[in-house]
Amino acid sequence: MAEIAVGIDLGTSNSCVAHARGSRVEVLPNAYGENVTPSVVAFREDGSIVVGQGARSNLVHDPRNTVASGKRLIGRYFFSEEVKKAQAVVAYQIAEGPGHGVRVGVRGEQFSIPEISAMVLREMKSVAERKLGQEVTKAVVTVPAYFNDNQRQATKDAGRIAGLEVLRLLNEPTAAALAYGFGRGLTQRVAVYDLGGGTFDISVLEIGKDVFEVLSTCGDTYLGGDDFDDRLIDLLADEFQAAHGINLRKDPYALEKLKLAAELGKRGLSVDEQVEIRLPDVVQGDDGSSLSIERTVTAAEFSSLVMDLLQRTFKVCDEALQQAGLIARDLDGVILVGGPTRLPLVRQSVGDYFQQEPKTDVDPDEVVALGAAIHAASLVSDGDDDEEEDAASAFLLDVTPLSLRLGVAGGLAETVIERNTPVPIEQSRRFTTFQDDQERVQVRIYQGESRRAEENELLGQFEFSGFKKAPRGEAQIDVTFSIDSNGIVSVRACDPETGEETSTELSLSSGLSEDEIQNILDDGLADRVQSDAPDAEALVPAETSAAPAAVEPGPAVEPAPQPAPAVERVPEPAPAAAVEAAPELEIAPADEPLPELDSSPPVYEAFSPEIEGEIEEDDAELEIDSGISDAPTGDMVEAAAQKQEPATVGEEAVLDAADLEIEPGDLEELDVEAELEGDDGLFDRSGADLAQFGDDGEER
Amino acid sequence: MTPALPPAEIRALARLLDELDYYQLLEIAPEAGTSEVKRSYYTLQRRFHPDANRGLDQETRSCLETIARRIAEAYAVLRDPRRRKAYDGQRDGEEAALRIPLVAAEAKTQRENIEETLGRTPNGKRFFALARADIDKGDLDAALRNLKMALTFEPANGFFKQKLTEVQDAQREADDRKRAESR
Repeated sequence: MAEIAVGIDLGTSNSCVAHARGSRVEVLPNAYGENVTPSVVAFREDGSIVVGQGARSNLVHDPRNTVASGKRLIGRYFFSEEVKKAQAVVAYQIAEGPGHGVRVGVRGEQFSIPEISAMVLREMKSVAERKLGQEVTKAVVTVPAYFNDNQRQATKDAGRIAGLEVLRLLNEPTAAALAYGFGRGLTQRVAVYDLGGGTFDISVLEIGKDVFEVLSTCGDTYLGGDDFDDRLIDLLADEFQAAHGINLRKDPYALEKLKLAAELGKRGLSVDEQVEIRLPDVVQGDDGSSLSIERTVTAAEFSSLVMDLLQRTFKVCDEALQQAGLIARDLDGVILVGGPTRLPLVRQSVGDYFQQEPKTDVDPDEVVALGAAIHAASLVSDGDDDEEEDAASAFLLDVTPLSLRLGVAGGLAETVIERNTPVPIEQSRRFTTFQDDQERVQVRIYQGESRRAEENELLGQFEFSGFKKAPRGEAQIDVTFSIDSNGIVSVRACDPETGEETSTELSLSSGLSEDEIQNILDDGLADRVQSDAPDAEALVPAETSAAPAAVEPGPAVEPAPQPAPAVERVPEPAPAAAVEAAPELEIAPADEPLPELDSSPPVYEAFSPEIEGEIEEDDAELEIDSGISDAPTGDMVEAAAQKQEPATVGEEAVLDAADLEIEPGDLEELDVEAELEGDDGLFDRSGADLAQFGDDGEER
Repeated sequence: MTPALPPAEIRALARLLDELDYYQLLEIAPEAGTSEVKRSYYTLQRRFHPDANRGLDQETRSCLETIARRIAEAYAVLRDPRRRKAYDGQRDGEEAALRIPLVAAEAKTQRENIEETLGRTPNGKRFFALARADIDKGDLDAALRNLKMALTFEPANGFFKQKLTEVQDAQREADDRKRAESR
């Protein structure tokens, strides 16, 4: 029998785990019977750690010790925009760690972000184990397609810390397409519009009989449903400040309530034309009176608050289509992924943009985990078992979402592998020195779409020495980049004459070192995560932990949370009576029946194979002309001449000093940053030191 | 599903890799169309992708990865008409290199386009620049003469030809207008 491997969608707001066996793919519900688990980690007074629903309810009364949306910080440098943005809105402490990494400070302890994600993964592992009744050690974990190498490495580390062998980091939209096309024998071109809690991805794929080829992927890792919430929070907070002169954002408790209310409000608008947001006693006034918020928000008003965010996603869609060499009309389907795509506003806008109704037969919250599970099954299948056949036959061909670049003299970054190149791939370029008898070069690797090094993400750097000393421009250094199927980058430099070689997996930058990971594993951090089950005491807030330890395996009811934000629907002529209570459920979900008795979980039989029989036989139909018309016109002469210019810069760029002083192992990325700041274009850097042979890598 | 390949075969192909051009690697003819390129890519990746071959020893596995990467490279060049053009040019050239850096292929085609729009030969460039100046001045007769001169030096330059047609059309229109006015 094949080994067990699950698929985990590690989301910004929620995570989901699924398992595939043969043609059966199913989401594994948590102990509350819910298919998704909040990606929230609570650190309790007694030192224990809780993940999921229990942690989420902690958010309102103990925001300082509860970490949510950790994914927004994973693989980021401390000085990055995203971290600054997070610092402004979260109540827990964010500090700088080694290598300009990010650390979270709670209850006197510091944790790296991979550790936080590991806690979530650990919880998903237990959810799977509980449901499958056996140990789970292997998983395919999904990441936003637009994640860079730092973020991927960090996610992989998180898996290790959680005690999981990460078989593959799978791009979320690719996973979604896999789940959508799996077992349906489709031949289609589809776009996957994936608007998650914190990230936006768009992928264009060609689905063949059993091959899923990604044609292009674009994205924005700074845009997601959280930003929609922020707009509502701003609206409420600004109005409150205008009315009462109190800034709710300054009060962590009020802010958490506001966040929850905004999110519930947004969800309410997925169903209704308007919602009433009520926050009783949100804060005390100067005279000690308690102040409340009551505000009706209509869909139209919400739409005007977030329309620019949606427009931003469509710019990215333009790019993805262009990269795939297609136009919207060429697509046979549009798949929606991510909670925010439930908003009618989003659905309608996406429909307008692509000129077709998005598919509604996939669940935007679960489809990614299902796809990951299908892929996981294919990666462990031994191929003998007939039952394994279906999942095993799905074959993925993905691309790298970001261009890979090498820092060269003049503060520039030369492309070595362009974005949307199929992976796995390897490319070499030959570079040279720019000083006579130079002994060492600094190899800096970037990911991004800018020719200016500083505008890209620095993945890492290493020093290369041992090549033959020669007059400047004559030494030869071959730098070889490879990207594996996980999207993880490795680089090696070598002198083709001496054979001297240095190589590295680029984990030097913002990730954890091997030693650090080993220490964390030795400490058994992941084991501190307590199973978040209604029958454990996990649900009882720390201060009232007097609850009986052995609760009946029945519904555990959480002690009523403090004045909870309630979002109520404004009675519409429409029906909906039961919904009154629905938003409450978000806060106190405990009173749901336990699923243990096995009320058979939702089973996806390959997404209703009877539908959508648009099978095309003709392969030629699918042919893609990626040669985007580039017939030169008169105006292009100018444009072309300009295009030529940067290449010339690369050729002529000469630096004033080599950075020979830098000791190996003491590489300070921030120095680079500092040097580059406030410069007006062609800056001097004492850092970059590779020169190029020619404008396109050919020898002079 | 996929029959695992014999390790000896994988290692042999890995050794042979540097002697194959992209067409040989993808097992297609040099005139094969894009759909054939794609089909072959699918088939070969299925055969050689590390996902499709498990349980191999480290050495064979790394051979397999090398092969898979090279297949992706061949595909990335041959599916893209611009890159493919640059590659075919290089293949027919004296160097006869079997691989082309993806970025270089792009740059080469781009440079060719630029050259085409400016001229490839010194005389071609000179007369074309004169013709452009004439067009700006509105002197179509002079422009026509200079364009024809430029074309004698670069008879294959499509951009020059296109400009020539444009100028001829403009001249015809101007003549028609003149005739209409004089009537």
